[in-house]
Amino acid sequence: MIPHPPRAIDQGLANCHVCGKLTPVAKHHCPRCGTALHLRKPASLQRTAALLLAAGALYLPANLLPVMTLSELGDIMASTILEGMAEFWRRQAYPIAIVIFVASIMIPLIKIVALTWLCAAANGKVYSSPRILGRIYGFTELLGRWSMVDIFVVAILVALVQFGAYMTVTPGPGALAFAGVVVLTMFAAMNFDPRLLWDRLEISKAPDPPQPPADRE
Amino acid sequence: MKFRKPRTPLSRQQIVSDSPPVKPVIPDFRAAQRWNIVWVVPFVAVLIGGWLIYQNLASRGPVAQVSFETADGIAAGKTEVRCRSVRVGRVKELELSDDLNSVRVSIQMDPHTAALLCKETRFWVVRPRVSGTDISGLGTLLTGAYIELEPGSGPQGTLEFHGLEAPPPTNSKVPGRRLILTADEAGSLVVGSPIFSLGVEVGRIESRELNPEGHQVLYRAFIQEKFAPLVRENTRFWNTSGVDISAGAAGIKVRTPSFQAMLAGGASFGIPDGLEPGKPAPDEMVFKLYPDEDDARSSLFNATLKVVLLFDQSVRGLAKGAAVEFRGIPLGRVTNISFDYLPPGKDSRIPVLVEMDPSLLRHSLQGAVKGQDSSVLAEAVAKGLRAALKTDSLITGTLFVDLDYYPEAAAAEVTQLGEYSAMPTVSSGLALLETKITAILDKIQALPLNEAMDKIGKAAEETATTVAAARDTLTEINATAAAARKTLDDPAFRKIPADLRTALEALQKTVSSIGPDGTMQGDLLRTLDELRASLRSIKALSTTIDEKPSSLLFGRDSSGNPVPRAPRSKP
Repeated sequence: MIPHPPRAIDQGLANCHVCGKLTPVAKHHCPRCGTALHLRKPASLQRTAALLLAAGALYLPANLLPVMTLSELGDIMASTILEGMAEFWRRQAYPIAIVIFVASIMIPLIKIVALTWLCAAANGKVYSSPRILGRIYGFTELLGRWSMVDIFVVAILVALVQFGAYMTVTPGPGALAFAGVVVLTMFAAMNFDPRLLWDRLEISKAPDPPQPPADRE
Repeated sequence: MKFRKPRTPLSRQQIVSDSPPVKPVIPDFRAAQRWNIVWVVPFVAVLIGGWLIYQNLASRGPVAQVSFETADGIAAGKTEVRCRSVRVGRVKELELSDDLNSVRVSIQMDPHTAALLCKETRFWVVRPRVSGTDISGLGTLLTGAYIELEPGSGPQGTLEFHGLEAPPPTNSKVPGRRLILTADEAGSLVVGSPIFSLGVEVGRIESRELNPEGHQVLYRAFIQEKFAPLVRENTRFWNTSGVDISAGAAGIKVRTPSFQAMLAGGASFGIPDGLEPGKPAPDEMVFKLYPDEDDARSSLFNATLKVVLLFDQSVRGLAKGAAVEFRGIPLGRVTNISFDYLPPGKDSRIPVLVEMDPSLLRHSLQGAVKGQDSSVLAEAVAKGLRAALKTDSLITGTLFVDLDYYPEAAAAEVTQLGEYSAMPTVSSGLALLETKITAILDKIQALPLNEAMDKIGKAAEETATTVAAARDTLTEINATAAAARKTLDDPAFRKIPADLRTALEALQKTVSSIGPDGTMQGDLLRTLDELRASLRSIKALSTTIDEKPSSLLFGRDSSGNPVPRAPRSKP
C-alpha cells in the first residue's frame, strides 16, 4: 500500500532553484542551467532564524525612533510611528490610524512571529497541523510586499516637502531601522524552505513508531 | 514500485547518494554547520539598532523636572526654555503634581546643556511678552510664554527644580545700583522691562508692587554697575512705554520709543536740561517715575510737599497735572481734585491737592528759612502767600494755580486738613475783577478834580466877561443897523434910485449922441476933416517956406501949371 505518492527527495531528485528542472541531486549542477542543486535550501532554518533575529533587533529602534522629522518655521516635530498613529487617532482620522497601525506595526510583527513559528515547526519544536502551517506560510508570503507603505510615504514626503525654512521633512533614524525590518523579514521569508515542514510530517506520519528527533541539536 | 520508508536512525545521516534514484533520501533536519555566515546579519542589525537608539538618546540631553504654581502659558511640546535668549530646551510634558498643588513641567534639554543644570539653577516663566528681537517667522508675531533658565552654581546633575513665579531680582552679589521708582500708575511697565539711558539699555525693572498704602506703585530697578554713575540725585525717570501722542498749543506730538519698549514697556532716565548733575545716587534711593519724558524734562522741581488748596470758585479748566507756579516759575503740579480731602458736609469749597517743591519757595522768602517744609510754608503764608486760580489760555480756558504774595489779603494761616496741610487761597475771576475795579475807582478818586474845576470856573468867568463885551458890541452893531435901516427907510433915500436912473438915462442920451449915429459924430468928423485940411495946408506952407523962405515976403510963384490932384475921400 502506498499511502503517499513517492517524493522526489526519496528518489534523490532535486528541483533546480532557477529553472525548476528535476535532476538527480547527485549531479550537483543542473544540466540545463548549471545552477547548484540542493534537495532543500541550504541552511534554510539557520538563515531564516538569523534574519528574523536581525529584523527583531531592528524592530525596536524602528518603533522607538522618529521616522520623520517635520520642521515648520523652526518648530521641529519629530514623530515616531506610534506617535503619528496616535496623532491621527486623536484627530479622529480612525481609518488612517488603523491603516498605519496594521501596515507599520502589525504586519512586521506578524511576519516575524509567523516565521518564527514556522521555523520552530520545521525544527520539530512545535507541532501543528499541516493545514495551519500551510496557511501561515501562505499568509507570510502574501504579506511580504505590503510593509513598505511607511517607507514609501516618508520617501515621498521627503522628496516633495522641501520648502527651506518654512517646512521641511527629513527622514529620521527610525525610517532606516524600519526599512531594515521590512527587508530582513522579506529575506527571511525567502530563505525559509517550507518543504522542511512537510518533510517532518512525512516522517512523523510513518506507520512505524515515529521517532521524534529528540536528540537533535 | 515500493516506497520504502525510513524507519531507523538512519535518517539522521546525511544520505545524498550518488547512486541511481532507487535509494531513498530524507532530509537532514540538523544544521549542516554550526556556524553560518548569516549570523553576521543579526549581529550587525543589533549593532545598528543599538547605535541608532544610543544616538537618539544621546542627542536628547537630560530631562529636567521643574515645578511651578501654574502652567499658564506653557504648552507641552511648544514652550521653549531659554538661557539668555538662547534656546536650550523645550517643554516635553506637563502634569499636575501628586498633591495637585503645583504643576510639574518636564523639560527636554537640548544636547550638551547638562552643565546648565546645577543645584542653584533657577527657572521662571516669562509670560507673554514680545521682545523686538524675538519676532522670527511670519506666523509667530506673538511668541508665547517661555521659561527662562538662569544658570547657577553648585554641583551639576540636578534634575529636580522648583520654578520661581516671578523673575528673580538680580542676585545681590551682582554689582550695580538698586533704586526704587514710584509711579501713580503701573502702565505697561512690567517686571523685566528694560531701563534705558539715551536709548542704551542699562538695567531693568526687577519687581513691581503696590506700596503699603496702596496708592502708588513701587518698582525696584537695577542699574548695571558700569552705568551706575549715570544715576544722580537729580536724575529723572520716566516711562517710555507705548506711543505718546499729545496735542497741545504747539501742535500734535507723537513720540515712539524703540519697538521693544513699545511692546514690552520700558523706562528711561536722564537729567533735565540746564541742571548740573548732582551727587551720584545711593542705593535704595527713591525716584518718581514720570509718565512721560515731557513731564520729566519739564519738572525742574522735586515735589515733596503736598498741600490742599480750597477754592470757593469753579475749578472748571483745572486739570490734573496743571502747573503750580510762583510768579511764573513752575513749583509743582495739581495731583488731584477731589472732595475726598474734605470732611463731608461742612464745606462747599473744592479741594485741590497739589504737590510742590518748597525749596523754591524758600528763595522767595527774605533770608533762607531753615527748618521743615511745613514751617517754610507757614512762614510764607504769614507773609501773604496765597494760591489763586488763573487762566492759562483764554482759548482753551485752562487754569493753573498761581502762588503769589498778596500783602493786602486778609490774614490767614496754614491749617491742617486730614493728612495734608491746607493753604489759604484768594479768589480770582469775578472777585478779582471787583478788586481791580475798586482799585480803578480809587485811582479816579485820587485825581485832583477840585483844582481842575476851579480852573475851569475861572476860565468860564473870563469867558463870561468876554461874552458880555461881545454883547455890547452887538448892541452897538444893532443900533448901527437900526440907523442904517432908518436911513434906508427915508423917502429921500428911496428916491435916489429913480434919480439915479434919470441921470443914467440922460447920460445914455448924452453918450448916444456921441456914438456913431449921434449928432456929435458928424460935427466931429467934419471938424477933424477941416483940421486935417488945415494941417495939410500948414505942411504945404512949411514946405514952401522951407524951400523958399522968401515966399513969405514975396508970395508964391503963380506958375500956370497947377498940379492936378485927386480929391480926398472922406473917412
